[in-house]
Amino acid sequence: MIEKGKISASQMGKMMYLAITPTAILTTPAITYQFAKQDLWISPIWAFSGLIAVYAALRLHARFPGRNLVQMCECIVGRLPGKLLGGLFLLFNMYLNGIIIREYSEFVIGAFLLQTPLTVVSGSMVLASAMAVRSGVEIVGRFAELFLPAFITLFLLIIFPIIPDLHLSNMLPIMGEGMMPSLMGAFVLQAWFSELITASFFLPFVADQKKVTKSILIVLLMIVLTLIVSNLATLLLLGNVTGSYTYPFLILARYINLFEFFTHLEAIFMAIWVLGAFVKICVFFYVAVLGAAQWLKLSDYRPIVFPFGFLLTLISMWVAPNLQKLNDAISKSVSFAVLTMFVAVPVLLLCLAWGKRRLWGIAAKK
Amino acid sequence: MKWASVLGIAAVLGLMTLYEWPKMKGNMKKEKITFAAVTLAGGILAVWLVFYPGTPGPTQLFDFLYKPLVHYIENLTAERGG
Repeated sequence: MIEKGKISASQMGKMMYLAITPTAILTTPAITYQFAKQDLWISPIWAFSGLIAVYAALRLHARFPGRNLVQMCECIVGRLPGKLLGGLFLLFNMYLNGIIIREYSEFVIGAFLLQTPLTVVSGSMVLASAMAVRSGVEIVGRFAELFLPAFITLFLLIIFPIIPDLHLSNMLPIMGEGMMPSLMGAFVLQAWFSELITASFFLPFVADQKKVTKSILIVLLMIVLTLIVSNLATLLLLGNVTGSYTYPFLILARYINLFEFFTHLEAIFMAIWVLGAFVKICVFFYVAVLGAAQWLKLSDYRPIVFPFGFLLTLISMWVAPNLQKLNDAISKSVSFAVLTMFVAVPVLLLCLAWGKRRLWGIAAKK
Repeated sequence: MKWASVLGIAAVLGLMTLYEWPKMKGNMKKEKITFAAVTLAGGILAVWLVFYPGTPGPTQLFDFLYKPLVHYIENLTAERGG
């Protein structure tokens, strides 16, 4: 095995939490609002693709212990098609990471470092992540464990001070047009929830396998809860104008004004965002590098970390010419692509594995 | 300006190779080939994108593949008044 490190079930859960929530808080409220309007806060509850992805990852790992999704492909659909499918999965994973890096750098440049070139922001983030990824899965896991309390504290630090300014009337009428608007608004969120399939790459390294199911389900619940809270706070404060901001949650942080003393707390939001995005990029980076090393049957994944980092920076430049085009792609074609690769393909693999075992089982009995 | 970017790319790739190459031992032939291939591919793509930044990428591929579904979603959004 290439990676000798071990992580605990809770570390994996924390990694998954930070691999999904940061970007989900940032970009989704504006996109979801277009569909869901005042039911914005109901949309995260419809986390179907998250449940499916978690179920597929856990069942597949129970069927092929110690293997991740890319390695399973070969066992399930045969050598050559398996290699092809695994390669496609890895390429898509890198593409998605490019999008994440681009989202991160566009946000940092759009909101804070107005004069800095895009390449510098994304390049320095990729360099930092590459160093963490080179150190192995244990280090990434510990980063997640270290950053999660800070992430949650800072998140609550933004939510609590604005509670007096929230207008409950903004959320009325609840489900005024039935369930449809909130369900449609949940569409773009499905792309985020389905990212839970990356758990498949960390399951083989978990030391206490018995606690995995519990920890990953708690994480799914926590993600839903965090998104409900952040969407609810955004909606109750901003009301009808939620959709007209690119980063509604950032406006919340800017709005805070405690005793005329604590103002401009968007620096807190920046801290949340950098910590979260760092872990998120690391997780996807690690999956790509480890998967590629296993795919090519290399003895070590470390030598290819930096070249892959360079490619990731390139892809992040390539995905879209500007932020508007990027958000448009995320809310439409990219969501479909994510659902195909991260939900449909694993479920198909699961069905195939199940069917194959049934057929072989019957054949063996005869 | 464009040639300056090319120089920058070459410098980054050169530094990467200088750092990583001595760490790979003689028997790690496969790793060396992979490293060289990925670095070369990255370099070529980077220089290409410097000169032709508008080259259609994976995003355009997904736009093309999921056109009918995207169209369906767009119609739904239009019905709700954007």
